[in-house]
Amino acid sequence: MNWRIIGTLVSKDLSLFFRKKGILAITILGLVFYLIIYFVMPGTVSENLKIGIHAPELPPVFQHLPEEGLEISIVDSEEILRQSVSDGTYIVGISLPPDFIEKLNTGQKPDVNLYFTADAPEEIRVAMDSLVNEFASTLTGQVMTVEVSQEILGQDLLGTPIPPRDRLRPLLAIFIIFMEILGLANLISEEVERRTAQALLVTPATVIDLFTAKGIAGIGLAFVQAVLFMAIVGGMNVNPMIILVVLFIGAALATGLAFLISAFAKDFMSVLAWSIPVLVILIVPSLGVMIPGAITGWVKVIPSYYLVDAVHRVANYGSGWGDVWTSLLILFGYTIVIIGFGILVLRRKLQ
Amino acid sequence: MTDYAIIAEDLTYYYDDLTAVNHINFQVAEGEILGFLGPNGAGKTTTVKMLTGQMKPRGGRAVLLGMDVAKNIEKVQGNIGVCFETTNLYEQMTAIENLNLFARLFGVKPFYAIEYLSRVGLEGRGKDKVETYSKGMKQRLMVARSLVNRPQILFLDEPTAGLDPASSEAIREVILREKERGATVFLTTHDMMEADKLSDRVVFMNQGNIVALDTPLNLKRQYGRRALKVKVATGSGALEDREIVLDTPETPSNIQELFMHEQVVTVHSEEATLEDIFINITGRGLTE
Repeated sequence: MNWRIIGTLVSKDLSLFFRKKGILAITILGLVFYLIIYFVMPGTVSENLKIGIHAPELPPVFQHLPEEGLEISIVDSEEILRQSVSDGTYIVGISLPPDFIEKLNTGQKPDVNLYFTADAPEEIRVAMDSLVNEFASTLTGQVMTVEVSQEILGQDLLGTPIPPRDRLRPLLAIFIIFMEILGLANLISEEVERRTAQALLVTPATVIDLFTAKGIAGIGLAFVQAVLFMAIVGGMNVNPMIILVVLFIGAALATGLAFLISAFAKDFMSVLAWSIPVLVILIVPSLGVMIPGAITGWVKVIPSYYLVDAVHRVANYGSGWGDVWTSLLILFGYTIVIIGFGILVLRRKLQ
Repeated sequence: MTDYAIIAEDLTYYYDDLTAVNHINFQVAEGEILGFLGPNGAGKTTTVKMLTGQMKPRGGRAVLLGMDVAKNIEKVQGNIGVCFETTNLYEQMTAIENLNLFARLFGVKPFYAIEYLSRVGLEGRGKDKVETYSKGMKQRLMVARSLVNRPQILFLDEPTAGLDPASSEAIREVILREKERGATVFLTTHDMMEADKLSDRVVFMNQGNIVALDTPLNLKRQYGRRALKVKVATGSGALEDREIVLDTPETPSNIQELFMHEQVVTVHSEEATLEDIFINITGRGLTE
């Protein structure tokens, strides 16, 4: 190797790079973008467990729970408590009967209902059971004096332990789909920049033909690869039709994003520069599947959340149409909006 | 009545406050070659884009083969061929693949790409990727591509710009053969010699307006000057220049007098070029 020549080439490449103002701007903006993402992410970890309690008469011992790292809220009725746990306001709901203290004092076993969200870890369920009994013991000085019944609100996602590699499935599937953004965006931007699109548009081919063809190519590439992957890793053993629909909408979403990116990109490097931030955002929701509890509600603004959610629920828990239809609907809505916007800006560029 | 292949009626286009094409009107007869001349920014390319359906006119209309372009764009585009000034071929594909692609878009069946390649002298390179071609070869392939649907109207935008003489000549031959076939040719060019040689009529565009439209001969007669450049020998044996302006009432007597009283050594005719005429009309050159 001749390091002198290599040095000269590196110098030349850097010089050319910095002369391209577009790429320079994208690089700086990209850096700013990654910094923004970093600072937007929560900087502290909340270890408080949100618990809702319905108790006509709250025993004094429960008033000390916040000091134990638990966030306690008093709820007016058992119905509201159930609803709050169902919608994720509380991870755990504790319903104490009106005669809780009275029964304990008379040596009887009061019935306590515990409600858990579908994805509450098994450890929390066990811990809550123990906690209620411990408090009862503190109040009475006796052991195991409470009848605790547990209810999982919504589909129990902890019924079957999911092996780590299956937790990885949604991430890999969406990675395969969204990596196609790069290829398709590059294909389209080259077509525009090299003016081959102009040559096509003085033939009987129309702009709509052009977009349709690109759309079919993009969706086809992403969809076929994702389906193959899911079939090989056993992701289509349960409800394959739902998985097919989810992957198809996901592929369409990727195509819409490719339209958008290609409208701003000029060459492969700028396609890459635009695509990577988009890919990073799209991958974030899948972290929630791999590391339960790692992300919170804000992730639902990312379109790929609904793709990940549906794939995860169907492939890993055997969910049906009734469980995932809202995710599919929202994903479909996002897809339509993004494709529409992508066509709009790309069409302006073509003309 | 003459059948017109192209009719531009009050054709107008403006970008914000810049008028690129200003209410122009002209007709091109079937089988005619029209040279469309003007400096950069004159409005030539915008006019071609409106005629070929790439841009919608802001005013007026373009009628090709009896059809309003804006209303029958697909039908019109099925019957025209366009050769762009800038190379826009699929460089990763071979020449044959490029031609086959466009033949399929036009629905041409059967299609033998090699026939079209041989018309532009590329039959031996059909299986090579276009990225390996020289500029001249790419331009010839562009011309071949514009012919795949045997167009009734052929739009050629600077087809010989920057090419070597052999490539330019090959393209000019193709243009003349297309005319023989009956095609109408709309030729945009900076090359005045080429326009003069090929065009039945020429249009001079300047700042979005048509400033002249006629045959090259009539334009030369109207705006140019023809003359005889004569070298005569003096008594001392030195050569002197004489000039006799043609097309005046005095021309015959001036010629007669010259040959009677002077020892004529050489005689050359000189006539104005289209470039001279353009400068004469607009006060600016074509390359400004």
